[in-house]
Amino acid sequence: MDPSEVEFLAEKEVVKIIPNFSLDKIYLIGGDLGPFNPGLPVDVPVWLALNLKQRQKCRIVPPEWMDVEKLEEIRELERKEDTFTPVPSPYYMELTKLLLNHASDNIPKADEIRTLVKDIWDTRIAKLRLSADSFISQQEAHAKLDNLTLMEINTTRSFLLDTLNCMYKLRSNLQPGSSGGKSQDHQ
Amino acid sequence: MPCERKPMRYGHSEGHTDVCFDDTGKYIVTCGSDGDVRIWESLDDDDPKSINVGEKAYSLALKNGKLVTAASNNTVQIHTFPEGDPDGILTRFTTNATHITYNSSGSRVAAGSSDFMVKVVEMYDSSQQKTLRGHTAPILSVTFDPKDEFLASASCDGSVAVWKIEEQTQVTSWPLLQKSNDVINAKSLCRLAWQPKAAKLLAVPVETTVQLYQRDSWAQVGTLSDDLGTQAINVVAWSPCGKFLAAGSIGGLLTVWDVESKLCVERQTHEKGYTVCGLAWHPSGGQIAYTDTEGCLGVLDGLSSSSSSSSTTTSSTMTKAPASYDDLFDDDDDRPLDEGISEGARSPAKNPGDEDDDDDLIPATGRARNRSAFLDDENSLDTGSLKQGLDKFVDDVGSAIVLPAAVAAPLRPVYDGPMPTPPQKAFQPGSTPAHLMHRFMMWNSVGIVRGYNDDQDNAIDVEFHDTAVHHAMHLTNSLGHTVADLSQEAVLLACPGTDELASKLQCLHFSSWDTNKEWMVDLPKGEDVQALCLGQGWAAAATSALMLRLFSIGGMQRELFSLPGPVVCIAGHGEQLLVVYHRGTGFDGEQALGVQLLQFGQKRRQVIHGEPLPLSRKSHLSWLGFTAEGTPCFIDSEGVVRLLNRSLGNMWTPVCNTRDNCKGKSDHYWVVGVHENPQQLRCIPCKGSRYPPTLPRPAVAVLPFKLPLCQTTTEKGQMEEQYWRSVLLHNHYGFLSSSGYEIDEEGQSQAQKEQQELLMKMFALSCKLEREFRSVELAELMTQNVVTLAIRYASRSGRMALAQRLSDLALEKANQLQGEEPQEEEEEPLQYTRRNTGSGLGRSGSAGGQNRVTNVLDSMMSSSKKPTALLSSSGSTGKLNKTPFLKPLAPRPKTKVQHNSVYVRHKSGFQLWLEDNRRIILADNPDLEETDVIKEAIGRFRTLSADDRLVRHLIYTPSHSKSDEASLSHKKDPLFPCAKAEMPL
Repeated sequence: MDPSEVEFLAEKEVVKIIPNFSLDKIYLIGGDLGPFNPGLPVDVPVWLALNLKQRQKCRIVPPEWMDVEKLEEIRELERKEDTFTPVPSPYYMELTKLLLNHASDNIPKADEIRTLVKDIWDTRIAKLRLSADSFISQQEAHAKLDNLTLMEINTTRSFLLDTLNCMYKLRSNLQPGSSGGKSQDHQ
Repeated sequence: MPCERKPMRYGHSEGHTDVCFDDTGKYIVTCGSDGDVRIWESLDDDDPKSINVGEKAYSLALKNGKLVTAASNNTVQIHTFPEGDPDGILTRFTTNATHITYNSSGSRVAAGSSDFMVKVVEMYDSSQQKTLRGHTAPILSVTFDPKDEFLASASCDGSVAVWKIEEQTQVTSWPLLQKSNDVINAKSLCRLAWQPKAAKLLAVPVETTVQLYQRDSWAQVGTLSDDLGTQAINVVAWSPCGKFLAAGSIGGLLTVWDVESKLCVERQTHEKGYTVCGLAWHPSGGQIAYTDTEGCLGVLDGLSSSSSSSSTTTSSTMTKAPASYDDLFDDDDDRPLDEGISEGARSPAKNPGDEDDDDDLIPATGRARNRSAFLDDENSLDTGSLKQGLDKFVDDVGSAIVLPAAVAAPLRPVYDGPMPTPPQKAFQPGSTPAHLMHRFMMWNSVGIVRGYNDDQDNAIDVEFHDTAVHHAMHLTNSLGHTVADLSQEAVLLACPGTDELASKLQCLHFSSWDTNKEWMVDLPKGEDVQALCLGQGWAAAATSALMLRLFSIGGMQRELFSLPGPVVCIAGHGEQLLVVYHRGTGFDGEQALGVQLLQFGQKRRQVIHGEPLPLSRKSHLSWLGFTAEGTPCFIDSEGVVRLLNRSLGNMWTPVCNTRDNCKGKSDHYWVVGVHENPQQLRCIPCKGSRYPPTLPRPAVAVLPFKLPLCQTTTEKGQMEEQYWRSVLLHNHYGFLSSSGYEIDEEGQSQAQKEQQELLMKMFALSCKLEREFRSVELAELMTQNVVTLAIRYASRSGRMALAQRLSDLALEKANQLQGEEPQEEEEEPLQYTRRNTGSGLGRSGSAGGQNRVTNVLDSMMSSSKKPTALLSSSGSTGKLNKTPFLKPLAPRPKTKVQHNSVYVRHKSGFQLWLEDNRRIILADNPDLEETDVIKEAIGRFRTLSADDRLVRHLIYTPSHSKSDEASLSHKKDPLFPCAKAEMPL
């Protein structure tokens, strides 16, 4: 899975915008949107929000969790806990990137938020690497990781699976006789 | 000796001041940091004579027509008095002199300076001067021995020294004071004073006491102190007779002691508690003049009795009582007056003697202080402030120690009745308070006007919610506009008048099609714009002269009329103007507001004639306006939203309480707009305040309406609430159509359908609950066709008695309709009434009814077949077809109309009938082509009774004949009856 595909999925998330135009309900396959009243917040998917924003047709209201204090709390918690803590949104990284890239003027303290989300991301990825490392070094057969987001899984999936395959081949080559069956158990 | 403390008056700019009397006592002479000497004939002198003596004047002395001043140019100057002509320079220092004084005869002047020196100069020959050196810090004050032998001086080095003038030597010195490095840093000015006449005692203010030193022995012989004096004494002065000593302290306490008995005979506090820095006795001894560091001058009068009658024994506790009692009334500054509260609203419990306080000029800082107190209050207007003031008043009684409140109570006029409420100030709905540097001047459904008034910038930003209206604007606010309104057509701004400039009304008419997009109007002098609003094509401004001025949007002056009271706010919408004003004085926290609703345009009339505005208890108005659909609406400070109920004799119905939705106690919703369809209250949630800050940009939230009906937790209560809310919030259809606006017919029929469905549900519920009587009551509200459904429901559920009653009711309704028809003179299809015979549901009901066979339904059928039966029959003023042209609020594209001869011939009657019966025809013959439908319809129409046709004809012919040609040419006329007929079904 490509990161751009994950981003595509994230664009289905709903975000509030304040349109500066007036439009009746629009009927789409994915559901009805609107009506759009100038000055009145309305929920739309991110892809539409960004499209409207780029055409200067709206202001985006940042999601509630996109707030310096809340993110600081999450960051502290993430650093304190050894396991993965629940994230404010399953697409937090993608949304932050999308919204900050296209609508940073509508988001107060955009730079701080960018840093904080990056911090959270780094902490989580470090944890992920660490647990992958222990997973491999202990030659465990399965592991369970809670609260991982799709993007996080995606960053490690291809590499980890390839590595495991590779290691399996190496191991089975090393001991072609008895341990082949053994490592198959692992899989 | 009860003396009278006259109110303070503004004399000089803020800073150190000094005061003295002239020899005769006719003039009070003051000097201050503005460098002026002012000569006051009395305290009431409105035009004191001013002499400029320098950039700053530190001290002055006056005797024998020679005014000596210490100015900032390091000199001691002489001016003639009272002419004020310069008369040379007496002496110079290397830095400024700090205190100067005459000797008793006026032949010499002593001056102390910041360069540590004291000089004694002969008046007749300024070259003859003696210098006293010895102090090691700036001199604070100097005083002559009345016998001219000695001189005493106080200095910042902490010492008070006595000098022998002739020998220029120090006789003695006491380390009494706190050391400091400069006069401005000294804790006290330590103005010494030598007892006149007897010349026995030297008074030295030390901390909170005055120490008395004896001449020659230089021993301390006594201390004068006062229990109430908690702050250092700044200045002392002997009475001319030498029996009394007055002292003024940092904290503004003025005390007079009888020196012999060492008892305090008089005590007054400065009305604002400012530091007293100048003190002088009148030569007669009956008056004390004092000045403070804020530049104000005050006088204590009526001391003569005590000082002239030297009966010093009168100074007992008896004199204390009234003196301290007077203190009780000295808390005027605690009044959180100013700003939102007008001056007129004074508590009757206040001493009437205080009343004239408001006349004098309050120094600038006084205002600032009050303002800060006002800012602390989150509210833009504090109706509870009076009560607060009274609480403080009571507190002061407690803190005055000397007397229990019980003694004071009988002395002042007692009034326990209701207290008048300070009337709320005029405001602009949708704006945040004017004292904020960054504020919303207007937030309404069109856009936002923001005002910035800080050090760098004084500007106004106008932003539109819908950028299609106009692009955002940035204006420099050079005129200082404080109120604004915004509409689809224009921005209206106004500024209050100043001394030089008149109050101005400025309009940016951006929708104008010519190149001049701005106009400005000056109001007559003395008249200020207090509130303004914009309607469609007009602007209105309410002024301080109780006048309402109307302007056309292009700047033409239109009508003006007087308001019955001071305006609170005004709001406009379309052709309606809503004015709220003060009807009178409210009591106990209530406001007495009146409301007028005026209608311009074709039918000029007053809809609401100054009726009282029903606010919640102890609240004030916080928002006034119209819903997007044009129904007047207001919100009070308790958060209750009230909507005008036009179908209930223009009564106000509460539709929502925004406070119910708040999480915290100090959270509020700041309303920016009300919409009836969809039912929305648009507001901004404010955490811990009443109004939002401009940054971060607040987000609009939407609150639902909820009528405060009883038991809304039950199913019954919920449905009742929904039903009545729907009825109330769809009243605007009737109003809009009657005033000739286009209405959303689909929405209207939708609403009626919803209401009938709710009635049916409630009917079913009460049937289930065995409440048959109530069921019939509900059925009475239903339209005829829904009643038939109800009958079916009742008969199916085996309630024959109910069914019977309902069928009676249905018959009655049908008869009523038929009976009213012939009398009906003005009918139109769009008319909406509360007890409507809903067109949407009604039609489908009658169409479906054809297949039924019960006798009830037969009677229903017969009536419903008649074209007019489906139309509303209650009294109406709507004359849609007679309205020559309409002004749709929101014009919508209509299907293009095709005319043919058939339509023209039978335009009014037939087309309407066709519209109503098309479905029936189509249901009967689903395969018909459009032209066949019309043919079939013509056939059916001809079979109708002549009477029915005549009714149609009579009603619609006049308009038809008049506008026959016009309607042909105006093919897009949105209300042209056949527009609907051509729409695809």
